[in-house]
Amino acid sequence: MFFPLGITSPGGRERSSSFSMKTTSHVGYFFIVPALVYVLFFGVYPLIYNFILSLKEVTLITYMSGTSPWVGLANYWQTIKDVVFQRTFTNTLLFTSLSLAFQFLIGFFLAILFNRSFPLKGLLQSLIMIPWVLPIIVSGSFFRWFFSDRGMVNGFLLAWDFIDKPIPWITSQKLPIFAVTLANIWLGIPFNFVLLYTGLRAIPIELFESADIDGANWWQRIAFITFPVLRPVIITTLTLGCIFTVKVFDLVWIITQGGPGDVSHLLSTLSYSWAFNKFHFGRASSVLVIMLSLVVSLTVLLNSIRSEGE
Amino acid sequence: MSMMKGRMKQWKWTLVALIPTVIIVFPLYFIAIGGFQTVAEIFHRPPYWFPPRPSWQFYGDALVTLLPYLKNSLIMALGNLALTLLVALPSAFALAKFRLKIGKSTFFLLAFTQMLPATAVIIPLFLIFNRFRLINNYLSAILGIAVFTIPFATIILRAYMQAIPTGLLEAAFIDGASLFRVFRSIVIPLASPAIATAGILTLIMAWGDFIVSLSFLKDRTLQPMSIGLYNFIGQYGVQWNKLMAGSMIFAVPPLIVALLAGKSIVAGLTAGAFKE
Repeated sequence: MFFPLGITSPGGRERSSSFSMKTTSHVGYFFIVPALVYVLFFGVYPLIYNFILSLKEVTLITYMSGTSPWVGLANYWQTIKDVVFQRTFTNTLLFTSLSLAFQFLIGFFLAILFNRSFPLKGLLQSLIMIPWVLPIIVSGSFFRWFFSDRGMVNGFLLAWDFIDKPIPWITSQKLPIFAVTLANIWLGIPFNFVLLYTGLRAIPIELFESADIDGANWWQRIAFITFPVLRPVIITTLTLGCIFTVKVFDLVWIITQGGPGDVSHLLSTLSYSWAFNKFHFGRASSVLVIMLSLVVSLTVLLNSIRSEGE
Repeated sequence: MSMMKGRMKQWKWTLVALIPTVIIVFPLYFIAIGGFQTVAEIFHRPPYWFPPRPSWQFYGDALVTLLPYLKNSLIMALGNLALTLLVALPSAFALAKFRLKIGKSTFFLLAFTQMLPATAVIIPLFLIFNRFRLINNYLSAILGIAVFTIPFATIILRAYMQAIPTGLLEAAFIDGASLFRVFRSIVIPLASPAIATAGILTLIMAWGDFIVSLSFLKDRTLQPMSIGLYNFIGQYGVQWNKLMAGSMIFAVPPLIVALLAGKSIVAGLTAGAFKE
């Protein structure tokens, strides 16, 4: 099973507590059908359609006339050969790995910090959730200004004489992907914090107390108690984080639109741009299929690490 | 005396925790004060920590510009909420309390759909909706957002409904209540805290939606506030102060909810992520 969200499927523990009456199960289908139909029609079918599109030559003209010809793997071949795609692929890997590493470390640090009681803890915890609740257009606009040539970062750096001329955070060739990664790290802190914090709360305090008696210091406690006990939670957090990060779209679209000159695209924004700016729906779909394969393989990889430990 | 010392020690942790919290909240603060400044002041070097001559004018301007979009945001958020609960409530109940042959696969599909990249759903849906002339129709956006809110809400509700004692339901059933009646009169009232959580999270998701509305609603008179704000950027020369004031106005509802219902949001988020 490679889907970690709600991830143990029905059955198992709750089986004993299910309705025992046979008559009820027929009616039960009535309850489940709306969701099933919805997901099949609006989730699964688009996905299959996506795959079909990726094997066809779908442009505005062929779509309108309804005569999109089959082209086999030509879309994939052209996509893979494209320099913009290659850069985008590297960007996505860079973006995902850096985001994941830093979000996790910051979230973990915060979780440990908050795993004790102190005054105003509830309020501070709610404030940490702000990046998650803030509508993406709001945080995206902020970072667009924050990193702009005359924006906040350059404003401080210039005023404090650290630099002579503005650093082109989102207007140069190499820097934009790092700028959007930084914004995304900020965005992902609440998620990592919440999952790791909940995991930490579940560790019995006695474990730490006995370590205290044995004279373990802070680092030893983290390395020999927190990490091993938290291992399943950590892997779940990383797996989910991985999935969420590979598919990020809005943030990058709002800050750079993948620009300037296609240098800061992720797979998601590239496919969107090919679909809605260039109307190359077929090639856009091939990018999506590649992105989905990436998500699935990363998840399988992380999950195999999890089962190894069990 | 020792109690006093204990208190002091605890406040020390408040101070330590305050540092990262302030850094995390810092973008929001600069958006808020940006709305009180002229564009020249926003780009002052070094940036102002406090607005030098605060003015409400830009908040007023932003509000006037955004007001027409507000109606659309409300229609979409509430429409999506209704659709999401209508589909998610019964399915969560069935997934929690019945042993169905398709239960396992339905749950898997829900979790799977929730994981899908939005772009992977939106590009094909755009072509499909276009055939049905649904582009530039609220319905397309509502249906599109629900692709993600329905699985999300179902997973949260199911986790909660599993904790409702089955014996209670069976007793009512034996007493002659129909299954629908059991659902309506027992399950829904008992699950109301979870319904509130799922409802709040669904509202926040739909309110903040960007990509679905951007893709399906090209007609300005139908666009929600998020796209109204994005249009501020698109225009030649960004009016940053108006954009920041507008952003702040747009962010207020979810922020209030987050501060009031922070605990249930956290509970809801984690309910989906970890299972027994």
